[in-house]
Amino acid sequence: MFTVLIAGKAGEGIKKAAQVIADMLKFYGRFTFQLDDYESTIRGGHNFSVVTTDTSEVYSVYNSADLIICFDKRSYHLHSDKLNPNGLLVYNSDEGSFERGIGIPLTSLMKDVYNQPYNVSVSAVAISAARIGMTGSNLKDIIAHSYKRDATQNCIYASRVYDSLGEVAIDFPKLPCHSGHIFSGNQLIALGAWTAGLDYYFSYPMTPASSILHYLAAKQNTLGVHTIHAESELAAINMAIGAVYCGCRTAVGSSGGGFALMQEAFSMAGMVEAPLLCILSSRPGPATGVSTYTAQEDLYFALHQGHGDFSRIVASPDCMERAYTLAGELLAMAWKFQLPVILLTEKHLSESMMQAIIDPTQVMEANHLAATDEAEYNRYEITDNGISPLLFPPSEAVIKWNSHEHLSSGVRTDEAIDIVAMKDKRNRKDTGIIASLKEFQTWAVYGEGDVIVFAYGSTVLELREALKHLDSRITILAPIYLEPFDIKTVEMFQNRRTIIVEHNSKGDFAFLIRSKLQIDFIGSILRYDGRVFDPLELAQRIEVMINAQA
Amino acid sequence: MHKLDTNKENTWCPGCGNFGIMNAFKKALAALTNKGIDPKSIVITSGIGCHGKIFDYLNVSGIYSLHGRALATAQGIKLANPELNVICFGGDGDSLGEGLEHTMFAAKRNMDITLLLHNNGTYGLTTGQASPMSLQGYRGISTPQGNIERPFTPITLMYEAGATYISRSYSTKIDHLTEVITGAVLHKGFSFVEILQPCISYNNTYDLYNQKVRIMDGVPSNETVAYSLARNKDDIHIGIFKDESIPIYHEQLLGSHIPANERITRNHRCEIIKSMYP
Repeated sequence: MFTVLIAGKAGEGIKKAAQVIADMLKFYGRFTFQLDDYESTIRGGHNFSVVTTDTSEVYSVYNSADLIICFDKRSYHLHSDKLNPNGLLVYNSDEGSFERGIGIPLTSLMKDVYNQPYNVSVSAVAISAARIGMTGSNLKDIIAHSYKRDATQNCIYASRVYDSLGEVAIDFPKLPCHSGHIFSGNQLIALGAWTAGLDYYFSYPMTPASSILHYLAAKQNTLGVHTIHAESELAAINMAIGAVYCGCRTAVGSSGGGFALMQEAFSMAGMVEAPLLCILSSRPGPATGVSTYTAQEDLYFALHQGHGDFSRIVASPDCMERAYTLAGELLAMAWKFQLPVILLTEKHLSESMMQAIIDPTQVMEANHLAATDEAEYNRYEITDNGISPLLFPPSEAVIKWNSHEHLSSGVRTDEAIDIVAMKDKRNRKDTGIIASLKEFQTWAVYGEGDVIVFAYGSTVLELREALKHLDSRITILAPIYLEPFDIKTVEMFQNRRTIIVEHNSKGDFAFLIRSKLQIDFIGSILRYDGRVFDPLELAQRIEVMINAQA
Repeated sequence: MHKLDTNKENTWCPGCGNFGIMNAFKKALAALTNKGIDPKSIVITSGIGCHGKIFDYLNVSGIYSLHGRALATAQGIKLANPELNVICFGGDGDSLGEGLEHTMFAAKRNMDITLLLHNNGTYGLTTGQASPMSLQGYRGISTPQGNIERPFTPITLMYEAGATYISRSYSTKIDHLTEVITGAVLHKGFSFVEILQPCISYNNTYDLYNQKVRIMDGVPSNETVAYSLARNKDDIHIGIFKDESIPIYHEQLLGSHIPANERITRNHRCEIIKSMYP
């Protein structure tokens, strides 16, 4: 295992450097996981990125690092004590002289080479290349390929940093490359939904969901997908319902605050029976909260999204590959059952990057029940399974969708008997949804041990990395579907010692598990500082909990 | 054309200005059909309030949207299928209050849709509270001491936001209103029709409008003249204040692509993913 940490100010290209280093390590046959820790700042402040790499899959990053690169003094003071024994720390000697590590005048070297703008992040790639024993000419190729603007200066700067470092290479053999590509969770969510049929994405930027919008907007020509950055979340979701009315496979995405604004229209999607994929990527709240960090505070917010009683599906991917397939599966479920669905995730999955192999043939297609008889068409035809056929304009038939309670024609009603008939029609879909889930994987199970650890979403990634360091044998149980909640699959795990891990202060997930499965926990591990667990620390906490109860 | 009425019982107050608007709209639909617009391509949205009931009375496809959001819904429809002619009914509480942002942005984008603003200067359906268009001093149940706020001038607001067809009419002047609505729907770009609409129960402006409404001779020659005519309180001018042609939003976004009709096939999607990430 090998961890690189690059730290400096916002605007210095730290995330980009980490991506290039991850690519480089992938080229060396390693699996990588990248986490970007950044403030809501464009210039200045403090940012750092961590890439952990190994010869087998890595699911989260480690606090302590084997190579630490500090662009400024603050970075040195914040991170120098994280250096592993035999690790290498390289700091910017233009910022001062420090006791640990090797100082290189990164700023003055840079000013010699570049006219503004400078690109200090290139130096991190050069230092990493030197550490893993890459040749200077291979480094130049990577720099030229990855930093196309000011390519000549970048190569000169990288070479000077590389040369001034001297011989620091460790034994880091190049292994055969594994297949797969490096993706962020948000890219996989976007691609999964698109594979299933996504035509339109309506959104208003809010971290950590924004990069779905950015990615799809950047890929609009390749994918033939359309993106709208609307004037508000209210506009985005109401536009989305309009697009759905015409038959376009449509998604919206935001974080908690934006979802709060979308609540009324989410409820409307329930009433008009609009198939709509909603992507909720959480950050710490309440209110504006902590913009660029991770949390799981929105579980019940998702489960109860929107006023009034109506059915919805809520599911959360436990890994990167699942983000891809589940996004497609949920879009398909939305169209099959004509209701709003929520893909619930967190910053840690949305924005972290790791390699994944994606197979589009594994993704469902979002199909709908089409009307066959235009002449007698009623939008909300009462049916046994609650699903009314869809027809899109232009059409000879009148197609009325109504946010009021309505008759089968879509015309408003206030009549008691009609209200009940339409609610019952919608509720009859629940049976079909539950039956449908039998075809899907509703739980993810990792490990095999007597002690059960419950988690959902990206916390499962953290647990899988911690699992590597546990002496006790545990089974990680992670519900993928949170609503409807599949009890049957995990019935056999009742009466076991059970621990729960989640990222909030109130234990929302524990409440859900307790109410659904009627089980108690020997301990719960809550983290609500926006950060992810160090895998070693998490393993130790679980171990202590198990031993205390042994 | 099929019948335009549903069998929904009409519950507008006798004498409501909405009757005139609905009659003019029906006549406009006939006029549009004569001008080659396929009736099937007409899709409506409405907000919530007395105006919104028109959705249930008209046997026309569309979405009875949320309060304030009808114009956002309408834009989504247009973006998904630009071949549709999308017409949004909004109350003044809807389009200038709860959903003002969508009105401004639809105009800013020059989205090729039509907004028919039922301006009755009150919240009729919720029993007469002050609306964004209530005059200063208006006494409603939420402003028993008189409304302190001043009303908007929707025409100049739309000018500023960038609407390309800006008009005003009066619910009793059925022929004028029909003509203005027909022009609005035929216009390429965001078309706005402010319809002066008396509320017989809470804001009876029949006498005021009957005395003061004047039909303009043609479109004002420039913005200054248009603003002055729109703001005139002595004579209330109706007619077209602006009619210009500039590029429309969906053509710039989509080119000739019709997203709802020209969806990418499953196989093509799989091929693209496999070529992007072999």
